[in-house]
Amino acid sequence: MLYLELFIQGIVQGSIYALIALGLTLVYGLLRILHVAHAALFTLGGYIGVIVTNQTGSLALAVLVAAILVGIVGMAVYKIAYEPLLSQPPFIALIASIALFIASEELFRIVFGPYGLSYASQPLTGHLELFPGFRLKYAEMLVIGMSVVVLSILAYLSLNTRIGIAWRASVTDPSMARAFGVNIQNVRYMNFFIGSALAAIAGVLVALLNNFVEPTMGSVASYKALAIIVLGGLGNIRGTLLASMLLGIIEAFGTIYIGHLIDRDALAFGFLIIVLMVRPQGLMGVK
Amino acid sequence: MLKVTGLTAGYGELIAVRDFSFSVEKGEILALLGANGAGKSSTLLSLMGLIKQKSGTIIADSADISKLTPEARIRHGIAIVPEGRRIFPDLSVLENLIVGGHTVSKSKLDHGINTVFGYFQRLKERSGQLAGSLSGGEQQMLAIGRALISEPKLLLVDELSLGLMPKIVDECYAVLQQLNRNGTAIILVEQNTERALAVADNVCILEAGNLNFTGSIAEAQKDSRILHSFLGQE
Repeated sequence: MLYLELFIQGIVQGSIYALIALGLTLVYGLLRILHVAHAALFTLGGYIGVIVTNQTGSLALAVLVAAILVGIVGMAVYKIAYEPLLSQPPFIALIASIALFIASEELFRIVFGPYGLSYASQPLTGHLELFPGFRLKYAEMLVIGMSVVVLSILAYLSLNTRIGIAWRASVTDPSMARAFGVNIQNVRYMNFFIGSALAAIAGVLVALLNNFVEPTMGSVASYKALAIIVLGGLGNIRGTLLASMLLGIIEAFGTIYIGHLIDRDALAFGFLIIVLMVRPQGLMGVK
Repeated sequence: MLKVTGLTAGYGELIAVRDFSFSVEKGEILALLGANGAGKSSTLLSLMGLIKQKSGTIIADSADISKLTPEARIRHGIAIVPEGRRIFPDLSVLENLIVGGHTVSKSKLDHGINTVFGYFQRLKERSGQLAGSLSGGEQQMLAIGRALISEPKLLLVDELSLGLMPKIVDECYAVLQQLNRNGTAIILVEQNTERALAVADNVCILEAGNLNFTGSIAEAQKDSRILHSFLGQE
């Protein structure tokens, strides 16, 4: 029973990681930029989720508003911060991204206050007893369900529509996709919108699980997501999803069995180092 | 079909091809020859709108396409088979062809895919397979097929034979010649000069970004300087 509980916890955590890291890997695949500020969009999503839920009482509306608003902010980040730097070496954009991330943490502190926010009345607090002795919180069920639905819709669109196929081609080789008439500028905006919206949904879900958002909640997410996209194989979407789930499960089990030896957050990097020693290109990357 | 006047293009400050003028007629094969770094591939990329054109004009069927995007140039009937094939390895064979037809209607896409499968039966057999898992020859077939989906009037082909078995090269050239007989103009960049000269009508020879010779194959073969220096013939 303990194994099953840990496995489910791992899947819950892995679902959150997948939503965050997918946006990061999409941006890397298309622009070869490590978009550290992506974690700030995750935090912004959390804040919008809590505020809209507290104002309207609707968590569904909060998810929708957070996804749309943060998606638009993500496109603005591309337009203002990255587009002028595309002709520069990638580390310039990385520095800009780090600066943006640090500045956003301070901005959250100024706008929303230094102590964080909680739900006035936390939604989905109950649980469901799946079988005797095994209970799953509604919030955890929502995390898994929403991740499956959102990622399935994205997967369907990217596999079965001409725009989705062109989008995947652009992530693999933008200049060659352009040679066949794909409008790369539109794809970049779409990538930032979708990636940022996913991060926002993750932010709302984390806020729901913890009943708390704070200015620095993106810090751990930023380095975990970086570890995940390297682990999966930079720019590889399937690799990112696999790495997210593996890391979630390893953290869940690791916390119980080797938690006295190594911190939970350090597990990600320990696992990353071991995998990279065996497969330097990541789990599903190509040499 | 295509008339290029004073084309100068390059990467940033670097000029790869300078003041290059030439023309290609319907149903003609023009071989673009020269040593590595002579500006052959850059010329093709520039015609496709993929690298910056600094000056000059490109007229396709009376329309000035010099400032148009690659998407618009495809609509004017130009398509490219790039050096190194550059297929999308994470996409299936069929998906690569779908990207090749990104600018065309669904019915034209379906027709194009059937036509390509007619040319390359092997692609049809492997339509669901990831392109990255194909052999080098099959990848080249896919690169050609991908360019054919938009039914180009002018096909830009860069280093078709590079690294391929002679049998595969024969197969690819047979398709190009068949297309050419149907009226498609082809600009062919080849290190294998013998192969290029065997199929081309005319030749341009570039040296360090400048046009060194232009004329028919017969004229090139009469010129002893060209024969010795560029075509490797005695």
